[in-house]
Amino acid sequence: MNIPHKRTGRRSHISRMRRSNYKWIYLFLLPTFVIFVLFYAAPIVQVFVTSFTSWDGFNPPEFSGLRNYINLFSNNGFLMSLKNLFFWCLVAATLHVGFGTLVAFVLYQKPRGWKATRAVFMIPNVISAAAWAMIYRFIFNNDFGVLNNIIRGVNPEFNVQWFYQSPWAFWAVTLTWLFYAVIVTLVVLGDLMNIPQELGEAARLDGATGWQFIRHIQLPLCRSAIGTSVICSLTARIAMYEQISLTTAGGPGNDTMSLSILLVNGILDYRYGYANAVGVVMFLIGLLILAVVNKLFRMDESDY
Amino acid sequence: MILKKGMTRIFLYAVEAFVLVISAFPLLWVIVSAFKTNGEILSDPLALPSSISLDTFAHLFDTYNFPVYFLNSLLAAGVSTVVSLLFYSMGAYVIAKFNFPGRRLLYILFTITLLVPAHSKTQPIFSLVMQLGLYDNIWGVTFVYLSMGMAMSIFILKAGFMAVPKTLDEAAIVDGAGFVRVFLRINLPLVKNALTTAGILMFLNNWNEYYFASLLTVSDSQRTLPIALAFFTSEFSYNYTQLFSALTVVILPGIILYALAQEKVQASVATAGIKG
Repeated sequence: MNIPHKRTGRRSHISRMRRSNYKWIYLFLLPTFVIFVLFYAAPIVQVFVTSFTSWDGFNPPEFSGLRNYINLFSNNGFLMSLKNLFFWCLVAATLHVGFGTLVAFVLYQKPRGWKATRAVFMIPNVISAAAWAMIYRFIFNNDFGVLNNIIRGVNPEFNVQWFYQSPWAFWAVTLTWLFYAVIVTLVVLGDLMNIPQELGEAARLDGATGWQFIRHIQLPLCRSAIGTSVICSLTARIAMYEQISLTTAGGPGNDTMSLSILLVNGILDYRYGYANAVGVVMFLIGLLILAVVNKLFRMDESDY
Repeated sequence: MILKKGMTRIFLYAVEAFVLVISAFPLLWVIVSAFKTNGEILSDPLALPSSISLDTFAHLFDTYNFPVYFLNSLLAAGVSTVVSLLFYSMGAYVIAKFNFPGRRLLYILFTITLLVPAHSKTQPIFSLVMQLGLYDNIWGVTFVYLSMGMAMSIFILKAGFMAVPKTLDEAAIVDGAGFVRVFLRINLPLVKNALTTAGILMFLNNWNEYYFASLLTVSDSQRTLPIALAFFTSEFSYNYTQLFSALTVVILPGIILYALAQEKVQASVATAGIKG
Protein backbone atom coordinates (compact mmCIF):
# COMPACT_ATOMS: atom_id res chain seq x y z
CA MET A 1 0.00 0.00 0.00
CA ASN A 2 2.96 2.33 0.60
CA ILE A 3 4.58 4.07 -2.28
CA PRO A 4 8.28 3.30 -1.71
CA HIS A 5 10.01 6.46 -2.97
CA LYS A 6 7.65 8.69 -1.10
CA ARG A 7 8.42 6.86 2.10
CA THR A 8 12.21 7.11 2.03
CA GLY A 9 12.05 10.87 1.90
CA ARG A 10 10.18 11.03 5.15
CA ARG A 11 11.92 8.29 6.98
CA SER A 12 14.52 10.34 8.90
CA HIS A 13 11.95 12.82 10.14
CA ILE A 14 9.57 10.12 11.22
CA SER A 15 12.21 8.08 13.00
CA ARG A 16 13.33 11.11 15.00
CA MET A 17 9.74 11.67 15.96
CA ARG A 18 9.37 8.01 16.90
CA ARG A 19 12.41 8.04 19.18
CA SER A 20 11.00 10.88 21.20
CA ASN A 21 7.80 8.88 21.43
CA TYR A 22 9.31 5.83 23.12
CA LYS A 23 8.17 7.01 26.52
CA TRP A 24 4.59 7.18 25.29
CA ILE A 25 4.81 3.95 23.35
CA TYR A 26 5.78 1.89 26.39
CA LEU A 27 3.32 3.76 28.57
CA PHE A 28 0.56 2.85 26.12
CA LEU A 29 1.60 -0.80 26.17
CA LEU A 30 1.78 -0.95 29.94
CA PRO A 31 -1.88 -1.72 30.78
CA THR A 32 -2.10 -4.53 28.22
CA PHE A 33 1.25 -5.86 29.36
CA VAL A 34 0.19 -5.87 33.02
CA ILE A 35 -3.00 -7.76 32.13
CA PHE A 36 -0.96 -10.18 30.06
CA VAL A 37 1.39 -10.91 32.96
CA LEU A 38 -1.31 -11.06 35.66
CA PHE A 39 -3.84 -13.16 33.76
CA TYR A 40 -1.80 -15.13 31.25
CA ALA A 41 1.97 -15.41 31.69
CA ALA A 42 2.14 -15.79 35.48
CA PRO A 43 -0.92 -18.08 35.73
CA ILE A 44 0.34 -20.41 33.00
CA VAL A 45 3.73 -20.73 34.66
CA GLN A 46 2.05 -21.26 38.03
CA VAL A 47 -0.30 -23.90 36.62
CA PHE A 48 2.54 -25.87 35.04
CA VAL A 49 4.90 -25.65 38.02
CA THR A 50 2.38 -26.38 40.77
CA SER A 51 0.88 -29.27 38.82
CA PHE A 52 3.95 -31.17 40.02
CA THR A 53 3.32 -30.30 43.66
CA SER A 54 0.86 -31.15 46.34
CA TRP A 55 -0.64 -27.86 47.44
CA ASP A 56 -3.69 -26.88 49.49
CA GLY A 57 -3.46 -23.13 48.90
CA PHE A 58 -2.54 -22.31 52.50
CA ASN A 59 0.73 -24.12 53.09
CA PRO A 60 3.58 -23.75 50.60
CA PRO A 61 3.42 -26.24 47.70
CA GLU A 62 5.49 -29.40 48.12
CA PHE A 63 7.11 -31.07 45.15
CA SER A 64 5.44 -34.39 44.49
CA GLY A 65 6.68 -35.30 41.03
CA LEU A 66 4.12 -36.92 38.78
CA ARG A 67 1.78 -37.90 41.59
CA ASN A 68 -1.05 -35.58 40.51
CA TYR A 69 -0.86 -36.96 37.00
CA ILE A 70 -0.72 -40.54 38.20
CA ASN A 71 -3.76 -39.84 40.39
CA LEU A 72 -5.54 -38.30 37.44
CA PHE A 73 -4.95 -41.20 35.11
CA SER A 74 -6.08 -43.70 37.71
CA ASN A 75 -9.25 -41.68 38.37
CA ASN A 76 -12.27 -42.99 36.55
CA GLY A 77 -13.82 -39.51 36.43
CA PHE A 78 -10.79 -38.20 34.58
CA LEU A 79 -10.75 -41.06 32.09
CA MET A 80 -14.47 -40.56 31.52
CA SER A 81 -13.89 -36.82 30.93
CA LEU A 82 -11.29 -37.61 28.30
CA LYS A 83 -13.60 -40.11 26.65
CA ASN A 84 -16.52 -37.66 26.75
CA LEU A 85 -14.38 -34.85 25.41
CA PHE A 86 -13.25 -37.10 22.58
CA PHE A 87 -16.81 -38.03 21.60
CA TRP A 88 -18.08 -34.48 22.04
CA CYS A 89 -15.25 -33.28 19.79
CA LEU A 90 -16.16 -35.91 17.23
CA VAL A 91 -19.82 -34.85 17.30
CA ALA A 92 -18.83 -31.17 17.18
CA ALA A 93 -16.49 -31.58 14.22
CA THR A 94 -18.96 -33.63 12.20
CA LEU A 95 -22.63 -33.07 13.09
CA HIS A 96 -22.37 -29.63 14.69
CA VAL A 97 -20.14 -28.04 12.06
CA GLY A 98 -21.96 -30.02 9.38
CA PHE A 99 -25.31 -28.63 10.44
CA GLY A 100 -23.96 -25.08 10.64
CA THR A 101 -22.51 -25.45 7.16
CA LEU A 102 -25.76 -26.87 5.82
CA VAL A 103 -27.67 -23.88 7.19
CA ALA A 104 -25.10 -21.56 5.60
CA PHE A 105 -25.62 -23.20 2.18
CA VAL A 106 -29.38 -23.00 2.63
CA LEU A 107 -29.32 -19.31 3.59
CA TYR A 108 -26.93 -18.61 0.70
CA GLN A 109 -29.77 -19.55 -1.68
CA LYS A 110 -31.65 -16.65 -0.06
CA PRO A 111 -35.01 -18.40 0.42
CA ARG A 112 -37.81 -16.21 1.75
CA GLY A 113 -37.12 -15.15 5.32
CA TRP A 114 -33.42 -16.03 5.28
CA LYS A 115 -32.42 -12.86 7.10
CA ALA A 116 -34.96 -13.44 9.84
CA THR A 117 -33.81 -17.04 10.16
CA ARG A 118 -30.22 -15.89 10.54
CA ALA A 119 -31.23 -13.35 13.17
CA VAL A 120 -33.30 -15.83 15.20
CA PHE A 121 -30.63 -18.52 14.96
CA MET A 122 -28.33 -16.10 16.78
CA ILE A 123 -30.58 -15.72 19.84
CA PRO A 124 -29.50 -18.90 21.69
CA ASN A 125 -25.96 -17.61 21.32
CA VAL A 126 -26.57 -14.18 22.82
CA ILE A 127 -28.28 -15.37 25.97
CA SER A 128 -26.29 -16.80 28.83
CA ALA A 129 -25.20 -20.43 28.53
CA ALA A 130 -26.38 -20.78 32.13
CA ALA A 131 -29.92 -19.75 31.16
CA TRP A 132 -29.83 -21.98 28.11
CA ALA A 133 -28.76 -24.96 30.23
CA MET A 134 -31.69 -24.23 32.56
CA ILE A 135 -34.12 -24.01 29.67
CA TYR A 136 -32.96 -27.41 28.45
CA ARG A 137 -33.42 -28.84 31.90
CA PHE A 138 -37.07 -27.93 31.59
CA ILE A 139 -37.40 -29.08 27.99
CA PHE A 140 -36.04 -32.49 28.97
CA ASN A 141 -38.05 -32.67 32.20
CA ASN A 142 -39.96 -35.91 32.36
CA ASP A 143 -43.19 -34.46 33.83
CA PHE A 144 -43.76 -31.17 32.04
CA GLY A 145 -40.93 -31.07 29.51
CA VAL A 146 -41.77 -30.39 25.88
CA LEU A 147 -39.82 -33.31 24.49
CA ASN A 148 -41.31 -36.13 26.52
CA ASN A 149 -44.81 -34.75 26.17
CA ILE A 150 -44.47 -34.70 22.40
CA ILE A 151 -43.06 -38.24 22.41
CA ARG A 152 -45.91 -39.33 24.67
CA GLY A 153 -48.29 -38.13 21.99
CA VAL A 154 -47.05 -41.12 19.99
CA ASN A 155 -46.04 -43.48 22.74
CA PRO A 156 -47.96 -42.78 25.98
CA GLU A 157 -45.73 -45.15 27.96
CA PHE A 158 -42.57 -43.10 27.36
CA ASN A 159 -40.73 -42.11 30.55
CA VAL A 160 -37.10 -41.00 30.56
CA GLN A 161 -35.31 -38.74 33.02
CA TRP A 162 -32.96 -37.40 30.36
CA PHE A 163 -30.37 -35.74 32.56
CA TYR A 164 -30.41 -38.37 35.30
CA GLN A 165 -30.42 -41.67 33.47
CA SER A 166 -27.61 -43.50 31.75
CA PRO A 167 -27.04 -43.53 28.75
CA TRP A 168 -29.45 -40.67 28.00
CA ALA A 169 -27.61 -38.03 30.02
CA PHE A 170 -24.67 -37.91 27.60
CA TRP A 171 -27.02 -37.29 24.67
CA ALA A 172 -29.14 -34.80 26.60
CA VAL A 173 -26.03 -32.71 27.33
CA THR A 174 -24.98 -33.06 23.69
CA LEU A 175 -28.37 -31.84 22.47
CA THR A 176 -28.09 -28.62 24.49
CA TRP A 177 -25.47 -27.40 21.98
CA LEU A 178 -25.56 -29.74 19.00
CA PHE A 179 -27.75 -27.69 16.64
CA TYR A 180 -26.80 -24.23 17.87
CA ALA A 181 -24.13 -23.70 15.25
CA VAL A 182 -24.82 -20.11 14.30
CA ILE A 183 -21.16 -19.11 14.45
CA VAL A 184 -20.31 -21.81 11.93
CA THR A 185 -23.16 -20.58 9.74
CA LEU A 186 -22.06 -16.94 9.86
CA VAL A 187 -18.41 -17.74 9.14
CA VAL A 188 -19.14 -20.14 6.27
CA LEU A 189 -21.78 -17.80 4.85
CA GLY A 190 -19.17 -15.03 4.85
CA ASP A 191 -16.79 -17.18 2.82
CA LEU A 192 -19.55 -18.30 0.42
CA MET A 193 -20.48 -14.71 -0.31
CA ASN A 194 -16.83 -13.98 -1.13
CA ILE A 195 -16.69 -16.57 -3.92
CA PRO A 196 -16.52 -14.63 -7.19
CA GLN A 197 -19.76 -14.74 -9.21
CA GLU A 198 -17.88 -15.62 -12.40
CA LEU A 199 -16.93 -18.99 -10.94
CA GLY A 200 -20.57 -19.99 -10.79
CA GLU A 201 -21.21 -18.88 -14.36
CA ALA A 202 -18.09 -20.61 -15.66
CA ALA A 203 -19.10 -23.83 -13.95
CA ARG A 204 -22.62 -23.63 -15.37
CA LEU A 205 -21.22 -23.15 -18.90
CA ASP A 206 -19.07 -26.22 -18.37
CA GLY A 207 -22.28 -28.09 -17.57
CA ALA A 208 -21.76 -28.61 -13.85
CA THR A 209 -24.90 -29.52 -11.94
CA GLY A 210 -25.78 -27.65 -8.76
CA TRP A 211 -24.58 -30.50 -6.60
CA GLN A 212 -21.27 -30.81 -8.49
CA PHE A 213 -20.74 -27.09 -8.06
CA ILE A 214 -21.26 -27.32 -4.30
CA ARG A 215 -19.13 -30.43 -3.97
CA HIS A 216 -16.17 -29.43 -6.12
CA ILE A 217 -16.08 -25.65 -5.96
CA GLN A 218 -17.96 -24.12 -3.05
CA LEU A 219 -17.07 -26.62 -0.32
CA PRO A 220 -13.32 -26.62 -1.07
CA LEU A 221 -13.32 -22.82 -1.18
CA CYS A 222 -14.99 -22.66 2.25
CA ARG A 223 -12.32 -24.97 3.60
CA SER A 224 -10.66 -22.40 5.81
CA ALA A 225 -14.00 -21.12 7.17
CA ILE A 226 -14.98 -24.69 7.99
CA GLY A 227 -11.56 -25.31 9.54
CA THR A 228 -11.91 -22.19 11.67
CA SER A 229 -15.37 -23.34 12.72
CA VAL A 230 -14.04 -26.76 13.67
CA ILE A 231 -11.36 -25.16 15.85
CA CYS A 232 -13.89 -22.82 17.49
CA SER A 233 -16.36 -25.58 18.19
CA LEU A 234 -13.71 -27.97 19.51
CA THR A 235 -12.20 -25.40 21.86
CA ALA A 236 -15.74 -24.64 23.01
CA ARG A 237 -16.00 -28.32 24.01
CA ILE A 238 -12.95 -27.93 26.27
CA ALA A 239 -14.51 -24.85 27.84
CA MET A 240 -17.99 -26.38 28.20
CA TYR A 241 -19.09 -25.94 31.81
CA GLU A 242 -22.57 -24.51 32.37
CA GLN A 243 -24.25 -27.09 30.14
CA ILE A 244 -22.92 -29.80 32.45
CA SER A 245 -22.61 -28.14 35.83
CA LEU A 246 -26.21 -26.85 35.76
CA THR A 247 -27.78 -29.99 34.33
CA THR A 248 -26.09 -33.25 35.35
CA ALA A 249 -23.06 -31.98 37.33
CA GLY A 250 -21.13 -34.80 35.66
CA GLY A 251 -23.53 -37.60 36.52
CA PRO A 252 -25.11 -40.07 36.53
CA GLY A 253 -21.95 -41.74 37.82
CA ASN A 254 -19.29 -40.13 35.68
CA ASP A 255 -21.35 -40.33 32.49
CA THR A 256 -21.06 -36.64 31.60
CA MET A 257 -17.93 -35.78 33.58
CA SER A 258 -15.70 -33.10 32.10
CA LEU A 259 -12.29 -31.61 32.76
CA SER A 260 -13.75 -28.27 33.85
CA ILE A 261 -15.94 -29.93 36.48
CA LEU A 262 -12.95 -31.90 37.81
CA LEU A 263 -10.87 -28.73 37.91
CA VAL A 264 -13.48 -26.77 39.85
CA ASN A 265 -13.97 -29.67 42.26
CA GLY A 266 -10.20 -29.77 42.80
CA ILE A 267 -10.15 -26.08 43.73
CA LEU A 268 -13.18 -26.38 46.01
CA ASP A 269 -11.45 -29.33 47.77
CA TYR A 270 -8.27 -27.24 48.19
CA ARG A 271 -6.31 -29.62 45.97
CA TYR A 272 -4.71 -26.88 43.93
CA GLY A 273 -1.83 -28.98 42.54
CA TYR A 274 -4.29 -31.58 41.32
CA ALA A 275 -6.60 -28.94 39.83
CA ASN A 276 -3.66 -27.44 37.98
CA ALA A 277 -2.67 -30.83 36.58
CA VAL A 278 -6.16 -30.87 35.01
CA GLY A 279 -5.43 -27.35 33.73
CA VAL A 280 -2.23 -28.55 32.08
CA VAL A 281 -4.10 -31.38 30.37
CA MET A 282 -6.71 -28.88 29.09
CA PHE A 283 -3.98 -26.61 27.81
CA LEU A 284 -2.19 -29.42 25.96
CA ILE A 285 -5.41 -30.74 24.42
CA GLY A 286 -6.13 -27.23 23.16
CA LEU A 287 -2.76 -27.06 21.41
CA LEU A 288 -3.19 -30.54 19.99
CA ILE A 289 -6.59 -29.67 18.50
CA LEU A 290 -5.20 -26.57 16.88
CA ALA A 291 -2.25 -28.38 15.35
CA VAL A 292 -4.37 -31.25 14.00
CA VAL A 293 -7.13 -29.08 12.50
CA ASN A 294 -4.64 -26.67 10.93
CA LYS A 295 -2.93 -29.59 9.25
CA LEU A 296 -6.15 -31.29 8.12
CA PHE A 297 -7.69 -28.22 6.53
CA ARG A 298 -4.44 -26.80 5.11
CA MET A 299 -5.61 -23.51 6.56
CA ASP A 300 -2.47 -21.50 5.92
CA GLU A 301 -2.78 -21.85 2.14
CA SER A 302 -4.65 -19.27 0.13
CA ASP A 303 -6.96 -20.07 -2.78
CA TYR A 304 -7.21 -16.86 -4.70
CA MET B 1 -36.53 -30.48 -13.69
CA ILE B 2 -39.44 -28.54 -12.24
CA LEU B 3 -40.09 -31.34 -9.80
CA LYS B 4 -36.45 -31.25 -8.72
CA LYS B 5 -36.59 -27.48 -8.24
CA GLY B 6 -39.67 -27.91 -6.09
CA MET B 7 -37.94 -30.52 -3.98
CA THR B 8 -35.01 -28.16 -3.42
CA ARG B 9 -37.39 -25.38 -2.35
CA ILE B 10 -39.11 -27.69 0.11
CA PHE B 11 -35.75 -28.74 1.51
CA LEU B 12 -34.62 -25.13 1.95
CA TYR B 13 -37.80 -24.20 3.79
CA ALA B 14 -37.64 -27.33 5.94
CA VAL B 15 -34.14 -26.41 7.12
CA GLU B 16 -35.24 -22.84 7.77
CA ALA B 17 -38.25 -24.01 9.74
CA PHE B 18 -36.14 -26.38 11.81
CA VAL B 19 -33.69 -23.60 12.67
CA LEU B 20 -36.52 -21.26 13.66
CA VAL B 21 -38.18 -23.88 15.85
CA ILE B 22 -35.06 -24.95 17.76
CA SER B 23 -33.97 -21.36 18.32
CA ALA B 24 -37.21 -19.59 19.12
CA PHE B 25 -39.54 -22.25 20.49
CA PRO B 26 -37.65 -22.96 23.76
CA LEU B 27 -37.68 -19.26 24.61
CA LEU B 28 -41.32 -18.74 23.73
CA TRP B 29 -42.24 -21.81 25.76
CA VAL B 30 -40.37 -20.45 28.80
CA ILE B 31 -41.99 -17.02 28.50
CA VAL B 32 -45.50 -18.43 28.00
CA SER B 33 -45.06 -20.88 30.89
CA ALA B 34 -44.11 -18.03 33.20
CA PHE B 35 -47.75 -16.89 32.99
CA LYS B 36 -49.22 -20.29 33.80
CA THR B 37 -50.02 -21.74 37.20
CA ASN B 38 -48.06 -24.67 38.53
CA GLY B 39 -51.05 -26.92 37.86
CA GLU B 40 -51.35 -25.76 34.27
CA ILE B 41 -47.64 -26.33 33.65
CA LEU B 42 -47.88 -29.89 34.93
CA SER B 43 -51.20 -30.90 33.39
CA ASP B 44 -50.76 -29.41 29.94
CA PRO B 45 -47.21 -28.20 29.29
CA LEU B 46 -47.88 -27.14 25.71
CA ALA B 47 -51.09 -25.16 26.27
CA LEU B 48 -51.42 -21.39 26.51
CA PRO B 49 -52.05 -19.83 29.94
CA SER B 50 -55.73 -19.55 30.94
CA SER B 51 -55.27 -16.02 32.23
CA ILE B 52 -52.53 -13.45 32.08
CA SER B 53 -51.33 -12.12 35.38
CA LEU B 54 -48.15 -10.37 36.39
CA ASP B 55 -48.42 -11.44 40.03
CA THR B 56 -45.53 -13.91 39.92
CA PHE B 57 -43.29 -11.28 38.45
CA ALA B 58 -44.31 -8.80 41.12
CA HIS B 59 -43.68 -11.43 43.77
CA LEU B 60 -40.28 -12.22 42.25
CA PHE B 61 -39.25 -8.57 42.31
CA ASP B 62 -40.53 -8.20 45.90
CA THR B 63 -38.60 -11.17 47.23
CA TYR B 64 -35.43 -10.94 45.21
CA ASN B 65 -33.06 -8.17 44.40
CA PHE B 66 -33.40 -8.22 40.63
CA PRO B 67 -32.33 -4.61 40.22
CA VAL B 68 -29.16 -5.48 42.15
CA TYR B 69 -28.40 -8.53 39.97
CA PHE B 70 -29.10 -6.48 36.89
CA LEU B 71 -26.86 -3.63 38.03
CA ASN B 72 -24.11 -6.08 39.00
CA SER B 73 -24.24 -7.62 35.53
CA LEU B 74 -24.27 -4.21 33.93
CA LEU B 75 -21.40 -3.03 36.09
CA ALA B 76 -19.21 -6.10 35.59
CA ALA B 77 -19.82 -6.29 31.84
CA GLY B 78 -20.01 -2.56 31.15
CA VAL B 79 -17.03 -1.33 33.15
CA SER B 80 -14.79 -4.19 32.07
CA THR B 81 -15.70 -3.63 28.42
CA VAL B 82 -15.11 0.13 28.48
CA VAL B 83 -11.83 -0.10 30.41
CA SER B 84 -10.41 -2.97 28.40
CA LEU B 85 -11.42 -1.27 25.14
CA LEU B 86 -9.35 1.71 26.24
CA PHE B 87 -6.39 -0.44 27.34
CA TYR B 88 -6.39 -2.67 24.29
CA SER B 89 -6.82 0.17 21.84
CA MET B 90 -3.82 1.92 23.42
CA GLY B 91 -1.79 -1.27 22.99
CA ALA B 92 -3.08 -2.02 19.50
CA TYR B 93 -2.48 1.58 18.43
CA VAL B 94 1.25 1.61 19.18
CA ILE B 95 1.67 -1.91 17.78
CA ALA B 96 -0.07 -0.86 14.58
CA LYS B 97 1.65 2.47 14.07
CA PHE B 98 5.11 2.53 15.61
CA ASN B 99 8.36 0.66 15.30
CA PHE B 100 9.98 -0.13 18.59
CA PRO B 101 12.08 -2.94 20.03
CA GLY B 102 9.89 -5.89 21.01
CA ARG B 103 6.96 -4.91 18.81
CA ARG B 104 6.59 -8.25 17.03
CA LEU B 105 7.21 -10.26 20.17
CA LEU B 106 4.58 -8.37 22.16
CA TYR B 107 2.04 -8.69 19.36
CA ILE B 108 2.60 -12.44 19.18
CA LEU B 109 2.43 -12.80 22.96
CA PHE B 110 -0.78 -10.79 23.23
CA THR B 111 -2.60 -12.62 20.44
CA ILE B 112 -1.34 -16.13 21.25
CA THR B 113 -3.37 -15.87 24.48
CA LEU B 114 -6.31 -16.86 22.29
CA LEU B 115 -5.02 -20.42 22.36
CA VAL B 116 -5.08 -20.71 26.15
CA PRO B 117 -8.28 -22.30 27.45
CA ALA B 118 -9.50 -19.76 30.05
CA HIS B 119 -10.52 -22.49 32.48
CA SER B 120 -7.04 -23.95 32.64
CA LYS B 121 -5.87 -20.85 34.57
CA THR B 122 -8.68 -20.97 37.11
CA GLN B 123 -6.66 -21.56 40.25
CA PRO B 124 -4.08 -18.76 39.76
CA ILE B 125 -6.84 -16.29 38.89
CA PHE B 126 -8.91 -17.42 41.87
CA SER B 127 -5.89 -16.98 44.17
CA LEU B 128 -5.04 -13.60 42.63
CA VAL B 129 -8.54 -12.28 43.36
CA MET B 130 -8.30 -13.65 46.91
CA GLN B 131 -4.95 -11.94 47.49
CA LEU B 132 -6.31 -8.63 46.28
CA GLY B 133 -9.13 -8.94 48.80
CA LEU B 134 -11.70 -8.88 45.99
CA TYR B 135 -13.25 -12.29 46.65
CA ASP B 136 -17.04 -12.13 46.86
CA ASN B 137 -16.96 -8.65 45.41
CA ILE B 138 -18.41 -7.70 42.06
CA TRP B 139 -15.29 -5.63 41.41
CA GLY B 140 -13.21 -8.80 41.59
CA VAL B 141 -15.37 -10.29 38.85
CA THR B 142 -15.07 -7.06 36.85
CA PHE B 143 -11.31 -7.20 37.27
CA VAL B 144 -11.12 -10.74 35.88
CA TYR B 145 -13.33 -9.78 32.93
CA LEU B 146 -10.74 -7.16 31.93
CA SER B 147 -8.50 -9.95 30.73
CA MET B 148 -11.09 -11.68 28.56
CA GLY B 149 -11.12 -10.98 24.86
CA MET B 150 -7.57 -9.63 24.88
CA ALA B 151 -6.30 -11.43 21.79
CA MET B 152 -9.48 -10.85 19.82
CA SER B 153 -9.66 -7.13 20.63
CA ILE B 154 -5.99 -6.46 19.91
CA PHE B 155 -6.31 -8.25 16.60
CA ILE B 156 -9.45 -6.39 15.54
CA LEU B 157 -8.25 -2.98 16.79
CA LYS B 158 -4.79 -3.33 15.28
CA ALA B 159 -6.33 -3.92 11.86
CA GLY B 160 -8.49 -0.84 12.43
CA PHE B 161 -5.56 1.42 13.32
CA MET B 162 -3.49 0.15 10.39
CA ALA B 163 -6.23 1.40 8.07
CA VAL B 164 -5.95 4.97 9.39
CA PRO B 165 -3.60 6.79 6.96
CA LYS B 166 -0.34 7.93 8.54
CA THR B 167 -0.57 11.23 6.68
CA LEU B 168 -3.43 12.21 9.00
CA ASP B 169 -1.18 11.69 12.03
CA GLU B 170 1.62 13.65 10.44
CA ALA B 171 -0.65 16.54 9.57
CA ALA B 172 -1.86 16.66 13.17
CA ILE B 173 1.73 16.61 14.45
CA VAL B 174 2.61 19.48 12.16
CA ASP B 175 -0.31 21.34 13.69
CA GLY B 176 1.31 20.81 17.08
CA ALA B 177 -0.72 17.87 18.42
CA GLY B 178 1.06 15.65 20.95
CA PHE B 179 1.14 11.84 21.12
CA VAL B 180 -1.98 11.44 23.23
CA ARG B 181 -3.92 13.97 21.22
CA VAL B 182 -3.11 12.22 17.93
CA PHE B 183 -4.37 8.99 19.47
CA LEU B 184 -7.53 10.37 21.07
CA ARG B 185 -8.59 12.94 18.50
CA ILE B 186 -7.42 11.53 15.19
CA ASN B 187 -7.17 7.76 15.49
CA LEU B 188 -9.82 6.66 17.97
CA PRO B 189 -12.74 8.31 16.15
CA LEU B 190 -11.64 6.65 12.92
CA VAL B 191 -11.66 3.11 14.30
CA LYS B 192 -15.24 3.31 15.53
CA ASN B 193 -16.17 0.14 13.66
CA ALA B 194 -13.37 -1.90 15.18
CA LEU B 195 -14.24 -0.51 18.63
CA THR B 196 -17.90 -1.47 18.17
CA THR B 197 -17.02 -4.98 17.03
CA ALA B 198 -14.59 -5.61 19.87
CA GLY B 199 -16.91 -3.92 22.37
CA ILE B 200 -19.95 -5.98 21.39
CA LEU B 201 -17.99 -9.22 21.60
CA MET B 202 -16.57 -8.41 25.03
CA PHE B 203 -19.83 -7.09 26.45
CA LEU B 204 -21.81 -10.08 25.23
CA ASN B 205 -19.27 -12.49 26.63
CA ASN B 206 -19.00 -10.77 30.01
CA TRP B 207 -22.74 -10.16 30.35
CA ASN B 208 -23.32 -13.89 30.00
CA GLU B 209 -20.25 -15.09 31.88
CA TYR B 210 -20.99 -17.69 34.52
CA TYR B 211 -17.86 -19.69 35.29
CA PHE B 212 -15.67 -17.11 37.03
CA ALA B 213 -18.62 -15.24 38.53
CA SER B 214 -19.82 -18.45 40.16
CA LEU B 215 -16.37 -19.19 41.61
CA LEU B 216 -15.65 -15.66 42.81
CA THR B 217 -18.91 -14.66 44.52
CA VAL B 218 -21.05 -16.12 47.28
CA SER B 219 -23.30 -13.39 48.67
CA ASP B 220 -26.62 -12.40 47.23
CA SER B 221 -25.60 -8.75 46.87
CA GLN B 222 -22.71 -9.60 44.54
CA ARG B 223 -24.57 -11.90 42.15
CA THR B 224 -24.90 -11.27 38.45
CA LEU B 225 -28.03 -12.38 36.58
CA PRO B 226 -26.70 -15.78 35.42
CA ILE B 227 -25.52 -16.59 38.97
CA ALA B 228 -28.83 -15.55 40.51
CA LEU B 229 -30.59 -17.84 38.07
CA ALA B 230 -28.59 -20.85 39.21
CA PHE B 231 -29.62 -20.12 42.79
CA PHE B 232 -33.30 -19.96 41.96
CA THR B 233 -33.32 -23.53 40.74
CA SER B 234 -32.36 -24.77 44.15
CA GLU B 235 -34.63 -22.28 45.94
CA PHE B 236 -37.90 -22.90 44.14
CA SER B 237 -37.29 -26.45 43.07
CA TYR B 238 -41.01 -27.26 42.70
CA ASN B 239 -42.44 -23.83 42.04
CA TYR B 240 -42.26 -24.00 38.28
CA THR B 241 -44.11 -20.77 37.64
CA GLN B 242 -41.49 -18.93 39.68
CA LEU B 243 -38.67 -20.72 37.89
CA PHE B 244 -40.03 -19.88 34.47
CA SER B 245 -40.62 -16.26 35.37
CA ALA B 246 -37.12 -15.97 36.85
CA LEU B 247 -35.71 -17.38 33.62
CA THR B 248 -37.78 -14.91 31.62
CA VAL B 249 -36.51 -11.98 33.65
CA VAL B 250 -32.91 -13.14 33.27
CA ILE B 251 -32.98 -13.71 29.51
CA LEU B 252 -35.10 -10.75 28.42
CA PRO B 253 -32.50 -7.96 28.85
CA GLY B 254 -30.05 -9.85 26.65
CA ILE B 255 -32.66 -10.49 23.96
CA ILE B 256 -33.76 -6.85 24.00
CA LEU B 257 -30.17 -5.65 23.68
CA TYR B 258 -29.66 -8.05 20.80
CA ALA B 259 -32.86 -6.93 19.09
CA LEU B 260 -31.63 -3.34 19.24
CA ALA B 261 -28.25 -4.03 17.67
CA GLN B 262 -29.02 -7.23 15.75
CA GLU B 263 -27.10 -6.52 12.54
CA LYS B 264 -24.04 -5.26 14.41
CA VAL B 265 -23.95 -8.26 16.71
CA GLN B 266 -24.10 -10.69 13.78
CA ALA B 267 -21.37 -8.82 11.93
CA SER B 268 -19.18 -8.83 15.05
CA VAL B 269 -19.59 -12.53 15.66
CA ALA B 270 -18.81 -13.28 12.02
CA THR B 271 -15.64 -11.16 12.24
CA ALA B 272 -14.62 -12.91 15.42
CA GLY B 273 -15.07 -16.30 13.81
CA ILE B 274 -13.13 -15.41 10.68
CA LYS B 275 -10.33 -14.14 12.86
CA GLY B 276 -10.51 -17.15 15.21
